[in-house]
Amino acid sequence: MDSKGSSQKGSLLLLLLLVSNLLLCKSVASLPICPSGAVNCQVSLRDLFDRAVILSHYIHNLSSEMFNEFDKRYAQGRGFITKAINSCHTSSLSTPEDKEQAQQVHHEVLLSVILGVLRSWNDPLYHLVTEVRGMQEAPDAILSRAIEIEEQNKRLLEGMEKIVGQVHPGVKENEVYSVWSGLPSLQMADEDTRLFAFYNLLHCLRRDSHKIDSYLKLLKCRIIYDSNC
Amino acid sequence: MKENAASTVVFILLLFLNTNLLNGQSLPGKPEIFKCRSPEKETFTCWWKPGADGRLPTNYTLTYRKEGETFTHECPDYKTGGPNSCYFNKKHTSIWTIYIITVNATNQMGSSSSDPRYVDVTYIVEPDPPVNLTLELKQPEDSKPYLWIKWFPPTLVDVRSGWLTLQYEIRLKPEKAAEWETHFAGQQTQFKILSLYPGQKYLVQVHCKPDHGFWSEWSPESSIQIPNDFSMKDATVWIFVAVLSAVICLIMVWAVALKGYSMVTCILPPVPGPKIKGFDTHLLEKGKSEELLSALGCQDFPPTSDCEDLLVEFLEVDDSEGQQLMPAHSKEHPGRGVRPTHLDPDSDSGRGSCDSPSLLSEKCDEPRANPSKFHTPEGLEKAEKPETNVTQPQDPQSTSVEGKIPSFHASGSQSSTWPLLQSPSLPYPRSSYHSVADVCKLGLGTPGAASALLDETDTHALKPSQTIETGGEGKAAEQRESESFRSKTDQDAARLLPQDKTPSISARPLEYVEIHKVSKDGALALLPKPNENSGWAEKTSTPETSKEYSKVSRVMDNNILVLVQDRRAQDLAPFEEPAKEAPPSLPQNPAEVDLASFPAAPSNCRLQLGGLDYLHPTGFMHSFQ
Repeated sequence: MDSKGSSQKGSLLLLLLLVSNLLLCKSVASLPICPSGAVNCQVSLRDLFDRAVILSHYIHNLSSEMFNEFDKRYAQGRGFITKAINSCHTSSLSTPEDKEQAQQVHHEVLLSVILGVLRSWNDPLYHLVTEVRGMQEAPDAILSRAIEIEEQNKRLLEGMEKIVGQVHPGVKENEVYSVWSGLPSLQMADEDTRLFAFYNLLHCLRRDSHKIDSYLKLLKCRIIYDSNC
Repeated sequence: MKENAASTVVFILLLFLNTNLLNGQSLPGKPEIFKCRSPEKETFTCWWKPGADGRLPTNYTLTYRKEGETFTHECPDYKTGGPNSCYFNKKHTSIWTIYIITVNATNQMGSSSSDPRYVDVTYIVEPDPPVNLTLELKQPEDSKPYLWIKWFPPTLVDVRSGWLTLQYEIRLKPEKAAEWETHFAGQQTQFKILSLYPGQKYLVQVHCKPDHGFWSEWSPESSIQIPNDFSMKDATVWIFVAVLSAVICLIMVWAVALKGYSMVTCILPPVPGPKIKGFDTHLLEKGKSEELLSALGCQDFPPTSDCEDLLVEFLEVDDSEGQQLMPAHSKEHPGRGVRPTHLDPDSDSGRGSCDSPSLLSEKCDEPRANPSKFHTPEGLEKAEKPETNVTQPQDPQSTSVEGKIPSFHASGSQSSTWPLLQSPSLPYPRSSYHSVADVCKLGLGTPGAASALLDETDTHALKPSQTIETGGEGKAAEQRESESFRSKTDQDAARLLPQDKTPSISARPLEYVEIHKVSKDGALALLPKPNENSGWAEKTSTPETSKEYSKVSRVMDNNILVLVQDRRAQDLAPFEEPAKEAPPSLPQNPAEVDLASFPAAPSNCRLQLGGLDYLHPTGFMHSFQ
């Protein structure tokens, strides 16, 4: 009986692993990675950075497309851009604002900044998916991308944590991130307010994904290629 | 009071405005920022379009506000970007920050501002084109030859630090081609092209795109000439050639199989069998000899120029009242023994005398009088021919005659040109003629008797004297000949008949002479035609003695044709038909035809010659006797 149960559990686990592997195969990044949960997976730093850059690039592309789709469909003539000034929740995090600043920041600091931004978006992305699904005539272009971005963001976070573990092993980092409090706005009954909330969220996501992508590419060239990409 | 003051103020303001408007000066038009661009994601430039300047010097200023700041700045650099531009250098450029930019136009009248433009440098990156595009032909020994294209990223873009990641695209084409061939090169700054045509000059361009920006402009063209010996050494080329030639061979074999016979006949045409032009062998099988033989002959009747040789003319010499005209073409219609209607044995009948109620008078006065006296030759459809210049009386007569004797009409148009009537050629009844005038009349009146049937190539049948017109078809000479024949024969008939009248008959028997041939040089080959009437001894002899007058020996001054007998018929003495001589005289001279005598014939009677003229060979008479 017990052996049966254990064998059943084992088979279930195998099934889970298989399914997760299949899901992983669907993703853009088809590099050989360690399935989540595996312990002794040694992947070289170069591969980690390559994969991280690919992910960040992909996430920004998705975010840009999602924003353009939303802007075209819902935000025309509403002047949302005028109100979306200084309204991102991650603006409290101090991030370099141009190339010189980014190059002057130490790569560890930069890595932690990246991690902070990534962590700040876990929650908003989750709610974004939920709320877009609940929208009337939920546009499939926006919803599918939101789901994909949420997934890939988690993956990127894991990859970044690996990189940090390799670059600065043993350093206990402070998990600093911004808290997002825009959920009530996403659930507002007033359509205009709600739409602006979505607009703002997507606008900020586009910007932050671009930031992450730029920082990671800088880091990769600096760490892996010694600033000679 | 207050109201008055207010109204006056308003009034003054309006005046002021109006005066300014009248001057044509106004506020400057609203400018518009139409483009902002960053070439390397470190600086950016904005350009604006000025509005109407209101005919006053206008000053433009650009102000901006940054996201997260509250104060307004002015453009740091109006010059670097060109006119109506603002350049933000590195110090003034912040990425991931929204700039709110406004342009103000100010002139004497006032100022106007553009709509604010929200610019985030992150999303306006458009680099310069790549630089230093080089082309190199490489022909390694152990590999295929290729074109090696190399370039460098634009100078401003910082690729080494990874701040911007560029992707490249090249395009090339032969110089004269219309379409470019584009290749994506990724992030590498070199590319190899393998498929090139030898002997062509190629043009190459490259452009780039940052990882999240816009494509740059294409770089300037670089060109390279591929030498002719740039061989491909590719097996696929030979395979392609082999396949193509096999396909072509298959197509040719298939074409030959389908149309082999026709192709063979095209290349080697079969030897044609003997064939007579116009001769339908099927008709021969059916036994329709008439149609068959009609095909052999001429299409026109009288025959056209190419049928001259076939045409047979008949000269009827009528020496008896039973004489009939035999008009037909012997060669054309051997089977057609067109027998003219038997003439009235009455010596006067059918002779066409103006005095007698015969053809002649009828012809003169009432053309329809004696249709029965005439027998129309087969070709009696002269009236149908519009070209024939036949006198009026003649035409009705011909038509009437035709109507009466349809059987003599030749089939088709062969005989259509035959002149009408030949009056039974017996213009000279056996009774003697006592006067020249009578004879003349008779002669005139009987176109048939004394007229020579000439071989006309076309429709110009013999015409009455008054209406003789040269057909203008090159047969004027022959026509005149015919006329002269006519006249001559008439006169000769008049003269001859009395002579011919042997004791039994006073009228001179007329004899038909065949004009065997009329050649182009004026030679008339005459053959006496055997007389139908059996009363003549000459008849039997005529077949034996084929007298032929082969040529005109000379033309006398008054257009007398002197015919020379060619055959060995000795008894046929050459005869002469002097013009207008005394009838009894019959000189043994070569026959003469007076060409001009016909017109001189009495004019009271017109010859109805539907075109038939008969020559009276006086000599024949003698010979036959």
